[in-house]
Amino acid sequence: MSLAAESPLQSSSSSDDFAAFLDAELDADSSNSSPNDETNDDEEIDLKEERIKRHKVEMSETIEVIESSKIADVNKEKSVLSSESTKPNLCPHPGFIKGLCLICGQMEEDDGSGVALSYIHKDLKLGSHEMNRLRGADLRNLLREKKLILVLDLDHTLLNSTRLADVTTDEDHLLKQADLLQDDPNRSLFKLGSMHMLTKLRPFVRTFLKEASPMFEMYVYTMAERCYALEMARLLDPSNIYFNSKVISQSDCTQRHQKGLDVVLGAESVVVILDDTELVWQKHKDNLIVMERYHYFASSCHQFGFNVKSLSQCKKDESDTEGALANVLNVLRRVHQMFFDPALDTDLSSRDVREMLKKVRQDVLHGCKIAFSRVFPSTVRAADQHIWRIAEQLGALCTTDVDSSVTHVVSTDTGTAKARWAVQNEKFLVNPRWVEAANYFWCRQKEDDYVV
Amino acid sequence: MFFHISMEKNMQLHPRHFGPHLRDKLVAKLMKDVEGTCSGRHGFVVAITGVDDIGKGLMREGTGFVTFPVRYQCVVFRPFKGEILEAVVTMVNKMGFFAEAGPVQIFVSNHLIPDDMEFQTGDVPNYTTSDRSVRIQKDSEVRLKIIGTRVDATEIFCIGTIKDDFLGVINDPGAAA
Repeated sequence: MSLAAESPLQSSSSSDDFAAFLDAELDADSSNSSPNDETNDDEEIDLKEERIKRHKVEMSETIEVIESSKIADVNKEKSVLSSESTKPNLCPHPGFIKGLCLICGQMEEDDGSGVALSYIHKDLKLGSHEMNRLRGADLRNLLREKKLILVLDLDHTLLNSTRLADVTTDEDHLLKQADLLQDDPNRSLFKLGSMHMLTKLRPFVRTFLKEASPMFEMYVYTMAERCYALEMARLLDPSNIYFNSKVISQSDCTQRHQKGLDVVLGAESVVVILDDTELVWQKHKDNLIVMERYHYFASSCHQFGFNVKSLSQCKKDESDTEGALANVLNVLRRVHQMFFDPALDTDLSSRDVREMLKKVRQDVLHGCKIAFSRVFPSTVRAADQHIWRIAEQLGALCTTDVDSSVTHVVSTDTGTAKARWAVQNEKFLVNPRWVEAANYFWCRQKEDDYVV
Repeated sequence: MFFHISMEKNMQLHPRHFGPHLRDKLVAKLMKDVEGTCSGRHGFVVAITGVDDIGKGLMREGTGFVTFPVRYQCVVFRPFKGEILEAVVTMVNKMGFFAEAGPVQIFVSNHLIPDDMEFQTGDVPNYTTSDRSVRIQKDSEVRLKIIGTRVDATEIFCIGTIKDDFLGVINDPGAAA
């Protein structure tokens, strides 16, 4: 067992120390051997042999000690742990909790960098290096368990809330209903006295969470306050299985009025976001699936400027099995299947869920060629229009002029030239909501339902 | 670790308590005020064991309040850096786990958990070795070493490690025989 054979195995900084230590020892002993020249040769040889033996024993002991405390990865932390009290300044201080470094326990010098992850613990702050390391480790775990990450919004996506003060007279029956159903574990209507709110869960939401949980690790990300977010998470997930330490609220956002994946401990390439507003996800539009808003209460409709009667006022509700959540669940299943498809050649860690989302989107209106009429003014650049871009994202070809290859004309008025051309040539004439519906339902809708 | 020390405090008493049971009321007030508090120097005051001496009361000018200097004996708990403690795990997440040893809360980050233990999500999040022989989950008892402490007005918070020899799980509540 020679040193040369051992040192390649140990790539840590302690091997440098060890080499230095050995050098020091050998130098000390060689300087010790010179005064022994006076003694006769036999003794000298014996002494030298003894010394060599002692060296070897010492070396083997130290090698064993190092091997027994050997840790696989190269890390400065190793030298910290092996000589904790003597080298605290080598600790990389990856993060701080309540001002104490996570590894060496030193008090934090306030330099302001680092992301506060107050949803995990109210005084936790991690450096960007540590966040990336955690993201990488998390990614490996997720890919091994065949899971992706799903970030869910609360309001208008999974539920709808209203203040008790805003409940209209024709919604009063809901208050009574909420009180009656207090003990029913499957109820969807909740009255929260402490927050003066009435909450309605979207139909299918519990099944949705149960079905999505084996495929996705789920986070809640809302622009509401922390106490509201935690209360809603408790309603959706009473046994705290899905959202344990994963409820992100407005106070955790690093930018005002913008949600970001920087506080999510997961790699961006595996995150799918489910939200009803695109506006707050400017930086991560590619990961976003926009959901149709859930307006159950009248106050919610008014907030968005709709003058129609809300679902509660009509005493109706979204369909359980055909509603938005059921649709989205199917899309998520498809994306998950595509991602973990064993037939794909690429390495798991290099796949990107954003590419999968794009592909699924492209399939929706594949094969359609759309011309627009009186949807936007002809003076603006057509390709910049919102509806144009949605249609293109969904896989349709968009054009400004009609020709024989056009399959659909989207118009707000039956009297326009293009509209009449469409009727004449037996092309589909639909209103713009057809494109929006395709975007929300992720499949091509019946054109007959969207006549102009 | 626990210490039994002698401390002194100046207690203010409102005149309504004056009477034959003045001393008892003073001791009761002392207990109410001091037990459960925390200071940087002594740590967490767990219980008052006895009152040594109550000095002469001094009236405060302008009010009727009287200040008594009270010497008392109490048991305090103070964690030290480098100390080995046993604690009960209260929460496990991917950053590490939280454990409690009496009034003190200790956080063990995943950096200071042995590398062969990995985090498993699920109904009961836990850290477990690859052969599932050792598992850390909520309500497990662990022996850990304190790396750093921080004392607030009301609580003590520590960072701990289980990466050294002889540290780790003592008792696993979910373990089969």
